[in-house]
Amino acid sequence: MDAVLTAFAEVLQPQVFFIIVAASAYGLMIGSIPGLTATMGTALLVPITFFLDPIPAIGAIVAATTMAIFAGDIPGALLRIPGTPASAAYTDEAYRMREKGQVELALGVNMVCSTIGGLVGVAVLIFAAPQIAAVSLGFSSYEYFWLALLGLSCAIFVSSSSPVKGVLSLCVGLMLSTIGIDVVMGVKRFTFGDTELIGGVSIIPVLIGMFAITEILRKVARPSRLPAPPPVRLGAMVSGVGSTIWRFKGGVARSSLMGSVIGALPGAGADIAAWIAYAISKKFSRSPEKFGTGYPEGIVSASSANNAALSGAYVPSLVFGIPGDTITAILIGVLLMKGITPGPMVFVMDTGLVNAIFAVFVLANLLMLPLGLAAVYGSRRLLGIPQDILFPIILLFCVIGAFAANNTLFDVWVMLVVGLVAFLLEENDFPLAPMILALILGQLVEENFMKSIIKADGHLAEFFARPIGGTLGVLTLTLWALLIGMSLHRAWRGRHAEKPETE
Amino acid sequence: MRMNDAVTGGIFVLLSAIILFAVRGFPTLPDQPYGPGTFPAIIAAVMMVGGLGLIWSGIRSHVPLVEVADWMRGPATLHRMVWVPGFVIAYIYLSKPVGFPLLVPVLLGAFLSVTTGRPARSALIALLGTAALWLLFAYTLRVPLPLGLLTEVIY
Repeated sequence: MDAVLTAFAEVLQPQVFFIIVAASAYGLMIGSIPGLTATMGTALLVPITFFLDPIPAIGAIVAATTMAIFAGDIPGALLRIPGTPASAAYTDEAYRMREKGQVELALGVNMVCSTIGGLVGVAVLIFAAPQIAAVSLGFSSYEYFWLALLGLSCAIFVSSSSPVKGVLSLCVGLMLSTIGIDVVMGVKRFTFGDTELIGGVSIIPVLIGMFAITEILRKVARPSRLPAPPPVRLGAMVSGVGSTIWRFKGGVARSSLMGSVIGALPGAGADIAAWIAYAISKKFSRSPEKFGTGYPEGIVSASSANNAALSGAYVPSLVFGIPGDTITAILIGVLLMKGITPGPMVFVMDTGLVNAIFAVFVLANLLMLPLGLAAVYGSRRLLGIPQDILFPIILLFCVIGAFAANNTLFDVWVMLVVGLVAFLLEENDFPLAPMILALILGQLVEENFMKSIIKADGHLAEFFARPIGGTLGVLTLTLWALLIGMSLHRAWRGRHAEKPETE
Repeated sequence: MRMNDAVTGGIFVLLSAIILFAVRGFPTLPDQPYGPGTFPAIIAAVMMVGGLGLIWSGIRSHVPLVEVADWMRGPATLHRMVWVPGFVIAYIYLSKPVGFPLLVPVLLGAFLSVTTGRPARSALIALLGTAALWLLFAYTLRVPLPLGLLTEVIY
């Protein structure tokens, strides 16, 4: 109990609390402006967190992303444009509710369910993470190697594009992580004689390039004017919400738990959780025919699931240092910059930090209620900001952000090159999530692989000799077999689809 | 810009070949064949297999080698997009000699005029934007943004 109080006392210190509230406001802004995703918002936040202590830095990221995932629902319901991809699953449904004159109910349900989902996700995180950490204290390099590889393979498995492109994107990330001094013999690798690259590619400019420059290029090319949002009565956002959620309480509980689990899978984040929760709630619904006509059941489930996923993603991130989604990949990057290596030892050595992270999550989800109302109130103004003004200013922010971490213009080059390459890759259906996960995990994979293979003196059977390591290894290989099977099936199907044309 | 899978696959095969060639020069541990090149070599091998897979599927797909996506067509669109790398490169080369406070309002103002088409309003927004970011980064976070020509005026 003392530990909990200490954690909350730490988070409620005026300076930390101010940062969390400011980051929340930022997150609500990012989320409610279409085109600015939660991942991009986090990437833009990293240069600022660089100057903060670990707890306010993590607090800022947690608060901003929690708010952004909810705020993505606001333009979804008002304009039928999801603010972040995580809201896309139920944008149509929410907009249909607007057409029925129930826009306030839709937003109110979104907000309260986001809070409930978020809190359930935190509860799962608080109970599951220390237990798993206790088990994983006995892990050796074999287990870590397989775990990291399993995480990366999952990231390919859940990405919607072709598995081959996922693997190639992963390879690019892993290759980027090998630049600099190697872990085995301290040899310089792929530095092209450049002193700036000896320490490796800095993570901040890569993140900004990958998630912000790509989006800026797309948005600058195609500036869009948003239609004027309708007026919202805040009073109506509160009444009727409780009874609606109570009516679908089973769905809220199911989706929140499921969202936490999906979030914990590496590579699967809030958006996938929302889609799956929506589909499942339709399947189990007593009136599935009402889905798509402005019926709140799907919204209740999906908006609980996406916020739950956000918290769930922190389970593997904190316990193993293996990110559950792109946002936690960035967070791990931030922790590493602060000299904290996420892993089971953090739960033993740094319980204060872990408890503070839990406290930040609880606080951020509770703050969502008052701040969410304020965001909906201010949304007309926010959605009125012309995008053709917004994106050039964000570009300037990116340039300064990339420069600020190491005060070097070389990092601005890195940001630009990575941004252009990532843009081309995305245009050609290469998913970016495996790449960023691989970049963050690359060193962990290589270090544990090299340790293992040197210990085993090249005998690959050793990789399967320990019970947990062996199980993880078999799981990973099974996943690969599935991936290869899927690729072959795609190729086979593609050939059969082509045949009628040629005949 | 959409490329045929064979083109992207070819790029990956070429890249992996370069990596495989580069790692041949890396040392290995005294009694074992492993060293700094082991891991990159494995990745490059996977990359090569993946790249060959893409070439195979690309050749069979009958998609044009390179094609500009519909949404990117049109000189105005391309002009606006080129401004993004242009802006960054101009900043990289000019920020030190000219200085942030003098360069950025001009650069940002010009970019905003291109995207909004309203020069007067752009100039005002550029000034306000520069001031806000200067306040945040140089003043609050103490990032040494270059003063350039103003260095001598101030000191």
